[in-house]
Amino acid sequence: MKNIKVLDGNHAAAIGAILSKPDVVAAYPITPQTPLVQHFSQYVADGVMDSTIVEPESEHSAMSVLTGASLAGARTFTATSSQGLALMYEPYFRASTMRLPIVMNIVNREMISPQSVWGGPQDSLTVRDAGWIQIYVEDNQEILDMTIQAFKIAENNDVLLPINICYDGFYLSHMTEGVEVPLQEEVNAFLPPYKPTHVKLDPETPMAVDPLTPGNYLQYYRELHMAAMDNAKRVIKEVNDEFAKKFGRDYFGLVEPYRMEDAEYVLVTLGSLTGSARIAVDLAREKGVKCGLIKIRSLRPFPVDEVNEFLKNAKAIGVIDRNVSFGWHTGIVYQEIKSAISSLDPIPTVPFIGGLGGEDLTTNLMVEALDSVIKAGENKQLENRAHWLINRKGR
Amino acid sequence: MSIAEKMASYEDMVGPGITACLGCNVELSMRTALQILGPNTIVAVPPGCMGGVQSVGWADKTGMKIPVFFPLLDNTASMLTGIKKYYERIGRDVNAVAFAGDGASLDAGFQALSGAAERGDNIIYICYDNEGYMNTGFQRSSSTSLGSWTSTTPVGTKSHGKTSHKKDMPLIMAAHGIPYMATASPAYMPDLIKKIEKAKNVKNGLAYIHIYNSCATGWGYESEKSIDIVRKGVQSRFMPIYEFENGKYKLNIDVKNPISLKDYLYSMKKYKHVSEEQIAQLQEYVDEKWDNLKKLCDTSE
Ligand SMILES: Cc1ncc(C[n+]2csc(CCOP(=O)(O)OP(=O)(O)O)c2C)c(N)n1
Ligand code: SF4
Repeated sequence: MKNIKVLDGNHAAAIGAILSKPDVVAAYPITPQTPLVQHFSQYVADGVMDSTIVEPESEHSAMSVLTGASLAGARTFTATSSQGLALMYEPYFRASTMRLPIVMNIVNREMISPQSVWGGPQDSLTVRDAGWIQIYVEDNQEILDMTIQAFKIAENNDVLLPINICYDGFYLSHMTEGVEVPLQEEVNAFLPPYKPTHVKLDPETPMAVDPLTPGNYLQYYRELHMAAMDNAKRVIKEVNDEFAKKFGRDYFGLVEPYRMEDAEYVLVTLGSLTGSARIAVDLAREKGVKCGLIKIRSLRPFPVDEVNEFLKNAKAIGVIDRNVSFGWHTGIVYQEIKSAISSLDPIPTVPFIGGLGGEDLTTNLMVEALDSVIKAGENKQLENRAHWLINRKGR
Repeated sequence: MSIAEKMASYEDMVGPGITACLGCNVELSMRTALQILGPNTIVAVPPGCMGGVQSVGWADKTGMKIPVFFPLLDNTASMLTGIKKYYERIGRDVNAVAFAGDGASLDAGFQALSGAAERGDNIIYICYDNEGYMNTGFQRSSSTSLGSWTSTTPVGTKSHGKTSHKKDMPLIMAAHGIPYMATASPAYMPDLIKKIEKAKNVKNGLAYIHIYNSCATGWGYESEKSIDIVRKGVQSRFMPIYEFENGKYKLNIDVKNPISLKDYLYSMKKYKHVSEEQIAQLQEYVDEKWDNLKKLCDTSE
């Protein structure tokens, strides 16, 4: 019998983490991630969770505690949002360059100013080049499943990189859905205990971690780090396939296609806004327009080959960004897509920005976006300034 | 066994040939502390002189015989917490030790250290206090004393060195209610050694040792005077040597007849400009701290 529970996104993440049996967890509360920290405390108080919990005095220390624990050989987990991630930047960057397979969920929230506690992946997208793997997910089931998969991806010997599972604040963190919770035995069989093979601080095998390092060595480390990112593409797919076989839920690895068989007009999405984009695609399909969408799941490593494969026959593409790249007139995902397809013949690609600070990206707005994409395709119009997707009401 | 014989029986955990300045008593303190802590130790040396002199290492060579790492300037205590928590979890007793400067402890790393002390994390934190950021060229820290010249509190027509007093870190750490806190000086080695031994035996929380170290290069005196200077620091009551153990304060070196503060100050370049007024301010500070400490020790008896 299926074990279905009604869970919000944070609770799903907490359960995913607990099922993965981390040795050490350290997390500092920040909206909209806070309930996740509370769930941990309660699970420990109730004796359900057998992890060592550290309650640090800041996010900077949360990441530092996990860096230390991971260097000692522990499986580690944390989660944060927005300003918390910003405060962590120094140890965040270092966790990846030390190749420590720390798992951290990011509950995406806008960066201030102005004050905002609501959703938007500006926080994690801004640090996309800090060397972490970043996976963006769409619903609460995917949060739980990917939190488990995250440990298996990060700890793979060909990867050994920290990983973020990113999900939209409030849209997912506080929304409840039916979520199938795997049994502990099933997860045990999928994810064995962690046996570190990387650098380790242990008096029995003394070594120095991070001595002063000249540029020629450092370049070599960066080269290896980039190669590990490449390996991660394969591992993400392998872990996805094994998970699909064992648990019956397939997320297609790096990119998830929707109605792409013969699609000419394609929307590109990230995260939970994919839902309303799917409906816009369905509505257009009903009218006989060949539309589809691709959901980018892995932003780092970026699935260049897959994106090219999906988009090579497109007549026009629209990229929906819930973030901005200051100094460009587009969002960040748009630039990623444009770079990825730069070797194809120019395809009209329309950048869209909307849904900032928790604003709704409604089906109507998605229909509006798709209409613009179809028009750009028909006119063979090349654009590089974002169309704002705005709810006219109340502005 | 004499103290010399005892120390000779312990292995030096720091490799030969690290590049500290001639006569650096910080290096001496680090070697001594790690000799006592022994091979079952993981040591964190954050950015600062002792990291800079390649105790952690250079390229693929390490300066230590024990596991060593560079934490960030501001997360030494929390990284050690993570290490210690994991070893506690798997049931292994390993010394998780910091050897960190005043900048990495009183300023940038203070929040992490205070958090670890409050949580009762079982780490040994040794701060070497050379009253400034020496590795980056002697900038002021919150441990720099009033009147001191530093490269960011220079002496000019409008300014005369640092304008505020030194942060009283030992008392602040004791106020966290940690099981063991002590100040020490390389001029009083038997006392320093005993204190490291005590810290090593603490199993129920954080042990903090504050070593008053001088710096020939930054402070401006001939390197052979390194030990003389810190002895003068103690003998002028400027660097009080005491401990806080199980809630009680104890003065370990009672300075009944202090030498003149002026004698201490004028023995280095960093104070050569201080005015009579600044000396009076410093004297007042020293007297007040000393009286307060005496009271704490008396009421602890
Ligand atoms: C976040 C950060 N800011 C600044 C620095 C630059 N920095 C390196 S060492 C240092 C001073 C350290 O001073 P202290 O801890 O007193 O040690 P000392 O140099 O006196 O041995 C500074 C500011 C750094 N490493 N990290
Ligand atoms: S600058 Fe000062 S503290 Fe640093 S190594 Fe030289 S003498 Fe020692």
